[in-house]
Amino acid sequence: MTQQSISEKHKQLTELNLDIESVKAQVEAVLSSELYWFPVRHHSPNVALNLRKVMVKRKPRVVFIEGPSQANDLIPFIIDTKTKPPVAIYSSFRDDGNMLGLAGIASAAEDLPPVFPVWYPMLQYSPEYVAIKVAHEIGAKVVFIDLPHYARIKSAKPVEVLTSEKPVSLDSHPIDESRVSDEIVASIDEIEPHPDALIDEGSDEQIDERIKRELEEGSEHLIVESRFYQELAKTAGYRTYEEAWDSLFEMRSFDDPEVFRKEFSAFCAASRATTLPVRMILDSTIDRERHMLRSIDRGLAEMNLKASDAMVVCGGFHLFMDREDKNDPPTPPGGTVYNTIVPYSFFQVSELSGYAAGTRAPQFYQRVWDLQNEQRFDEVYVEHIVAVLTEARKKGNVYSSADAIAVAQHTEMLSRLRGRTIPVLDDLHDALVTCCCKGDPLEEGGPLFTAIDAADIGHKIGKVTKELGQLPVVADFYSNMESLDLGEVLGKEKRLNVEVDKRESLGEQRSVFFHRLRFLKVPVCALTEAPSGDFTSGKLFREKWQLKWSPSVDSALIELNIYGDSIERAALAALRKCLKDDQDSAGKIAQHLLRSVDMDLPDMVRMTEDSLSDAIDNDVRFISLVQALTTMLVLDKYLIYRNLRRGMLDDLIVRCFDRACFAILDVVAAPEEQQDQVVSMLVALAEVTQQGDKQNLDRNLFAQHVRDAADASPVPFLKGAFLGILSELRELEPTELADFVRGLAKSSVEVMVTAGDFLDGVMAVSRTSLMLGADSLIKAIDELLRAAEWEPFLVMLPKMRAAFERMHITHRDSLASRVAEIYGLKAASSLTELNISTAAAVTVARLDKRVAEIMKDWEL
Amino acid sequence: MAGKKEELASAKAVEALRQPSEVLYRDELEALKQNDKDPAPEPWKLSPRAVLNYIVGGKPLKAKFDGKSVEIPITRKFFGDDSIVERAIVTLASDRALLLVGEPGTGKSWLSEHLAAAISGTSTLTVQGTAGTTEEHIKYSWNIARVIAEGPNSGNLIPSPTMVAMKNGSLLRFEEITRCLPDVQDSLVSILSDKAIAIPELPDENMVWARPGFNVIATANTRDQGVNELSAALKRRFNYIHIPIVSDHKTEVEIVQKRAGELLKRYEMSVSVPPPIIEILTTVFREIREGKTDDGVSVKKPTTTVSTAEAISVAIDAALYARFFGSGEVGADDVARNLIGSIVKEDANDLAVLKEYAVLVAKRRGEKDKNWRDFHDTVLKSIK
Repeated sequence: MTQQSISEKHKQLTELNLDIESVKAQVEAVLSSELYWFPVRHHSPNVALNLRKVMVKRKPRVVFIEGPSQANDLIPFIIDTKTKPPVAIYSSFRDDGNMLGLAGIASAAEDLPPVFPVWYPMLQYSPEYVAIKVAHEIGAKVVFIDLPHYARIKSAKPVEVLTSEKPVSLDSHPIDESRVSDEIVASIDEIEPHPDALIDEGSDEQIDERIKRELEEGSEHLIVESRFYQELAKTAGYRTYEEAWDSLFEMRSFDDPEVFRKEFSAFCAASRATTLPVRMILDSTIDRERHMLRSIDRGLAEMNLKASDAMVVCGGFHLFMDREDKNDPPTPPGGTVYNTIVPYSFFQVSELSGYAAGTRAPQFYQRVWDLQNEQRFDEVYVEHIVAVLTEARKKGNVYSSADAIAVAQHTEMLSRLRGRTIPVLDDLHDALVTCCCKGDPLEEGGPLFTAIDAADIGHKIGKVTKELGQLPVVADFYSNMESLDLGEVLGKEKRLNVEVDKRESLGEQRSVFFHRLRFLKVPVCALTEAPSGDFTSGKLFREKWQLKWSPSVDSALIELNIYGDSIERAALAALRKCLKDDQDSAGKIAQHLLRSVDMDLPDMVRMTEDSLSDAIDNDVRFISLVQALTTMLVLDKYLIYRNLRRGMLDDLIVRCFDRACFAILDVVAAPEEQQDQVVSMLVALAEVTQQGDKQNLDRNLFAQHVRDAADASPVPFLKGAFLGILSELRELEPTELADFVRGLAKSSVEVMVTAGDFLDGVMAVSRTSLMLGADSLIKAIDELLRAAEWEPFLVMLPKMRAAFERMHITHRDSLASRVAEIYGLKAASSLTELNISTAAAVTVARLDKRVAEIMKDWEL
Repeated sequence: MAGKKEELASAKAVEALRQPSEVLYRDELEALKQNDKDPAPEPWKLSPRAVLNYIVGGKPLKAKFDGKSVEIPITRKFFGDDSIVERAIVTLASDRALLLVGEPGTGKSWLSEHLAAAISGTSTLTVQGTAGTTEEHIKYSWNIARVIAEGPNSGNLIPSPTMVAMKNGSLLRFEEITRCLPDVQDSLVSILSDKAIAIPELPDENMVWARPGFNVIATANTRDQGVNELSAALKRRFNYIHIPIVSDHKTEVEIVQKRAGELLKRYEMSVSVPPPIIEILTTVFREIREGKTDDGVSVKKPTTTVSTAEAISVAIDAALYARFFGSGEVGADDVARNLIGSIVKEDANDLAVLKEYAVLVAKRRGEKDKNWRDFHDTVLKSIK
C-alpha cells in the first residue's frame, strides 16, 4: 500500500476506461459553481473539522443539509444546549390506508397498518450536526433537503393503484438513454429484483429487514460498489472501505480545507462515473437528488437569496447530481408521520448493532475529533492503545507499559510500511494482535478483542432536551395500558393482582402485553403464577400477574426507545439482539422461541426458528441441546394450540435429538457440579425416546451412544446412570446390571468402594426396570456387602443410602419386602403382573394424574 | 545473468536435493535490490517494502545482470493474508523477536526461511529445536581437544548460529522452539533482552554483543502447545504471529489438484483424481478441520492435524488404490477408504468424529449427490 494522491491513483487505473478529463471537468464545474457544495461522509470527524473551518470563513446565510426534510421543525431542539449527542432524529410513517400494499408483509397482520421508522443518528462530530451548530453560531438558517424516507419505500402494489403522481416503480423513471445502454437496462433484473416482485423476495421478516436496511443506507454503498473503488482497493490493498476512507481522508491533516474538498470530490466523481445509473435509480438516489435540487431552488427563492449566499452540505456522491434534471421527485404517500429526537448510544450507531450506515468505532472517532480540536492529532493512536489496554486490564488481563510501547512502535512502523503518514485503526488493531495476543487470535484473542470493541465503540448515551415532550415508546405504553383497561394502575404505586384467561380476547391481549413488558424488563408487572410451559403445569389458559407502577417505569421505557417506537417493536428488537447474543446456545434460542410465542410475535417465531436451526448445528453441548429438545417438545404441543406451523419444528426436533445423542460422549467425565444436570437431561432424552410419539427419533442411535458412554465413563456415578438408562430402555437385562454390581464385589477395595456412587447413578435414572430385576440386584448387592469389610462398607454406606433414598417409598418398601423374603423373614406374596409394558403403565398413570389436575383447574 | 562464480556455485547447488531460498531466488532478490527506492534498516539487504514484495509477489522488475537488462518476475512465495507478512516484517525491524505459530504444514518454516533470505541474505543460521537441544547449541561450545591443550581462548570457541547471527547483525532462525526444554529456551531471554551472550570462560572477551539487525524468527507448532510452553519472560519478548491453515476453499482445491497431479506424474501413474472427487476430499478436510460445515453444522474436530498436506496424501493413496485394487477410476469411496487413516491416527475416538460427520453431514448431502452417498456408505462400512 502506498500513499498517493487521488490523481496518482488515477494513473494506475487506466484499465477502468475512466475518462479522467471528464471527471476533472465535472469536479471543476462543481467546485467553482456559485452555489458552494461541500461533500461529507456521515460520522467523519475530519470532514466535520474541515467543514467547520469553511463555514466560519464563508459565513453563508443559509445552509442546506442532507437531512430529513420532514424534520425541519426539529432543528431548534437539536441546537438546544440541553440536547447532547449522540441523539437521533426519529421519523416514522404509518401507512394507514395501505397505500403501499405492504400490510401483512411489513406488519404483523393485514389489518395492521405497517409502520416504517428511520433513525438519523448524530454524533458530536457528525458533519451534519456540526453544520447545524456552526450555522446557529454564525446566524445562518438551516434547511434539511432530503426526500422523506417514506417516499422511498418500494410498493408491493401495481403502479396504477398508487395515488402518487410519480409512482415509485422503476418504469416511472425516465432513463436517459444516452447514459444507459441496452445492456445495462437488460441487466436490471440481475442487479436488483423489480420492486413489484418484492412480495416474492422472501419471508415478511426478510422484506421488513431489507426495507429497513435500504432506508438506513445512504449513498456510500454505491461508492463501495463502483468499479473505481473496487479497482482502487485492489491496487492499494485496502481490505475494507473503512480502511480506504481512513487512509485517504480521515487520518490525514489537510492544512487547507479546499484541498480536502477537491480530493474528496474527485474521489466521489470517479466513483459515480463508474457506477451504473440504474443502481442509482433503483436505490432512490436519483429521486432523492431531485428532491434536494427542488428544495434548494425553492429555499433560495423563498428567502430571496442568491446562490452565493448559500452552502450545500451533502454526501459527496450527490455533488455530481444531474442539475439539468427537470423531473419532479416522487410525492410521498399519505399516512401518519411522526418526527422527534431521541437519545441514542454509541453502541446503536456502531456497525456491531447492525445499523446499516453505522460507524465501526464511534469512541475512536470521538477521540480523533477531541484530539484534533486540541491540536494533538498525531497522538490519537497512542491514546487509543492506552485505552484498549486499560479496558483489557479492567477484565484482569496483564498488559504492561512495555506492551503499550511495543504496540505503539509496531503501529507506527506498520503504517509506514503500508504507506501511511498517520496510522489508521486497522494498523492499530493489527499491532495490538501482534504484540498482545500470544497464539491463534481466534482462540487466544477473546479478551483482547473484547477490550478492543469496548475501547472502539464506547458507552456514551445522549440526552434530549425536555422541551420536546414524550417519546413514542412511552406514549405507546400508556396507550396500551388504557386500551387494556389497566389505567387504574398508573401513577398510583399500588399493587394490583390481575388474573388473565387466555381463552378470552382481553385476557389474551393482556397476557401478550405483560409478557412483552416482562421480557423488556419494564418493572411494572410480575408473573406470579403460570410457568412458561403451560402444558407442564396443567394450567393451560390462566396466568396470574401482579402489577405495580412506579416512576422507574418511565425511565425504563425511555431506555427502550433505542429499540423501537412501540412496545411491540422494542420486544422484537430486543429479542433479535438476544438471538444474536445467544446464537451459539440451542437451549437459550429454544427458550427465545417459546418467548416469541408468548409475546405473540409470529414473524419473530419464524426468525427464531431459523436461528434455532443454526444454533442446533453449532451447539455441541449436551445439556444445551437437550434443553432445546425438551423446550421444542413443549412448543410442539403449544403450537397446536396457537395454530402455528409445525413442519420445521419436527425437523429441528429430529436434528436436535441426533446432535444430543452424539454429544453424550462429551459428558462421560462431567465434573461433579454438572453431574446431576447431565443425569436429568439423560432422563429427559430417554423419556423422549420412550414416549414414541415422535417416530423419526432414532432410538438405536441414542442407545448406542449411551452404551458407548457407559463404556467410556471414568465416573462411577455417571457409569451407573448410563447403565441405568440402558436398563430402562430394555437394552440391558437387569441381570447384566446385577452382574456389574457383582463384579464390583470381586474388585479391589479401591474399586469396590465406588459401588455406592455407581448404585446412586443407577437409581437416579432407573425405576421400573429396577423393580423388574429386583431379585437379581438384591442378590448382587448382598454379595457386595458380604464381600466388603467394615472400613470399605463405611465408605460405601452414605452413597448407598442416598441411592436408595432416591426411590419412591412404595418401591423402597417393595424392595425391602423382597430382601425380607430372601432372608426368610417374610412369606412371599405374588406380585400383580403387568399385562401392558411398564412404560405404558407409567404414561397411563401420568395421564390420569394430569387429567385430574386439569379438571380441577377448570373447575369442572 | 549470474556471474561465473555464481554459475559454478549454482551447478554445485543443483546437485543438492534442496537449495536455500537465497540461492534459489537470488535473481529475484537482486532485481528487488536494484529497484529498491525505500530506505532499508541497517544492515538489511532490502527495504521492508521490497521484502514484502519478494514474499507476496509483485510486478516483474527490470534488473541488470552482467550488463544486460532482464525482466525478472517476482513470484508469490506465501499464499495467505498479506497482513501476516507485513506484521512479521515490522516485528523483525522492532525490538521484539518473531514467533510464527500454527498447525503443522502451514508454511511457518517456509515463511521464516524467505524472511531471513530477503532481510539478511542468508537463511542458514538455524537452530533446530528438539528435546535434545542444549544451551551450548544456542550459545557456544568449545573445541575440547584444543581447550585441553591450550586452555580456553577465543580461537577454541565454536560459535553457535545465534552467535554468528549476533556478530553479523543477521536473523537467526529457531525452528520448533517449543520442542526444547524450558530451561534451554530460557537461555534466549538474555540474548533477546540484553542482545548479548556472556562468555565467563574468557575474562578479556567475556561478552559478545549483537550488531544492529540481529533478531530471531522462531517457529512453533500449536500441536506442541503446553508441552514446553514458553515462560512468561520469553513470551514477552516475542510477537506471536499465527499462520492459519489455508481456509480459502478454492485455493486449497487448486493446491491439492496441482500437487497430487505432480506427484502422480512423478510416480508415472496414468490415473488422475477427478475434480468432483478433489472437491469432496477438500470439503471434508476443511469442514472437519474447522469443525463447521458450509451448511453451518458444527462437527467434532479430530485430535490429529488435518492439513492440506494430508489431503494431498489421501488423494494420492486413493489414486493408487483405485489403480491397483479398484476400477482404475478414483471415486468418493476410494477417498473415504483412505481418509480414515489420515483422520484417525493418534486417538481411536477420532473414529466417532468421522462417523458423526458421515451421519450428520454426508448423509444429508447424499440424498442429492451420488458421490456423497458413496462417501457416506463407505465410511460407515469401513468403521463398523
